[in-house]
Amino acid sequence: MHMRAVVIVANPNPTSFSHAIAARVQLGLESSGHQVTVHDLYAEGFRAAMTAEEREAYHGNLPVVDPLVSEHIADLQAAHTLVFVYPTWWSSVPAILKGWFERVMVPGVGFVFNEQNKVRPGLTNVQRLVGITTYGSPWRYIKTINDNGRRTIKRALRLSTGWGTRSRWLPLYGMDTLSAAKRERFLDKVEKVARSL
Amino acid sequence: MKSYVVFCHPTHDSFIGSALERVLAGLERAGHKVRVSDLYAEGFRPELDEHDRKVHLVDHRQQPELRPDIARYVENLRWCDTLIMVYPTWWAGQPAMLKGWFDRVWVMGVAWDLPEGTNRIRPLLRNIHSLVAVTSHGSSKWVNAIEGETGKRTMTRALRFACNVRCRTHWIAFYTIDRASHAARVAFLDRVERRMAKL
Repeated sequence: MHMRAVVIVANPNPTSFSHAIAARVQLGLESSGHQVTVHDLYAEGFRAAMTAEEREAYHGNLPVVDPLVSEHIADLQAAHTLVFVYPTWWSSVPAILKGWFERVMVPGVGFVFNEQNKVRPGLTNVQRLVGITTYGSPWRYIKTINDNGRRTIKRALRLSTGWGTRSRWLPLYGMDTLSAAKRERFLDKVEKVARSL
Repeated sequence: MKSYVVFCHPTHDSFIGSALERVLAGLERAGHKVRVSDLYAEGFRPELDEHDRKVHLVDHRQQPELRPDIARYVENLRWCDTLIMVYPTWWAGQPAMLKGWFDRVWVMGVAWDLPEGTNRIRPLLRNIHSLVAVTSHGSSKWVNAIEGETGKRTMTRALRFACNVRCRTHWIAFYTIDRASHAARVAFLDRVERRMAKL
């Protein structure tokens, strides 16, 4: 049986470097025998903001209102590998991806309650997490102002997958001033990592 | 003092809605001039779209007509000396709606610029001397520490960078709200009002 992988892309420009990265990730994953589903949040018209109705439902028995969110949840719950590709804005993930966490990782999906009513990871099926991001700023600046996207994926998200989940972080710093050759090298690296998953 | 309050919650009938009332009461008591934006009620669009991306490096001071729907927020940001954000913490950080407000409003020519011939960004909101967050967390302080306190860091580092070099930050947070008693909630709301009066 094929292992399943889900790739979440958050970039408004359909010809962006993020999309080029996602394509190479897909190639790499497929060559290592994964069945890959790519979710392009902007192309799918994914809504960032949680609505009042969803906020109300969040605390009930049926926290999911939007069929697009249900589709994402079904894919996530079958996934062995989860990959995020996005540009870093204001030290963190774009709003559309922040909204994805809020609206998809609801009770019963991102986390469950055990018999003692304690919060437990809900996505223990996810064994591999990969975050790939591009930064306009250089490395030193990112380290000074903090990398909140990295923290969201490597730390907050692992409360949902469990600490046994292995995570990889693939950053590209100073994107705006990089040569074409360096960008190409980064794409090669991304594909190589995806192939090894 | 001139305080700009940004409220981000889908309904006012919520704990954070009550916190907003107490923020406003405290500011009034202290004699602040106050402006309020309610991002949900105003139908703010949080997704930075393809048009926004294309104009990303256009200085907003030169072509404000390119971003018509952010005009009122920009005006308020330039007017205030104190920025107060009132929101629930979701997924360890600001709700997507508020994150989108940073992405789309704190743009070149508003929050920062890139002077000709350098590659160093320069802060533009030097009028802001005080950044305040009033927020609630479902989980404990300990869980938030594991998650990395990304909401707090976004404010105290990333946003603060665009403000005055001596800008102070105030983190007024209520942890473990899901298990808090009524008395603890009331005590927090009282604290919020007192802190506003002392900003």
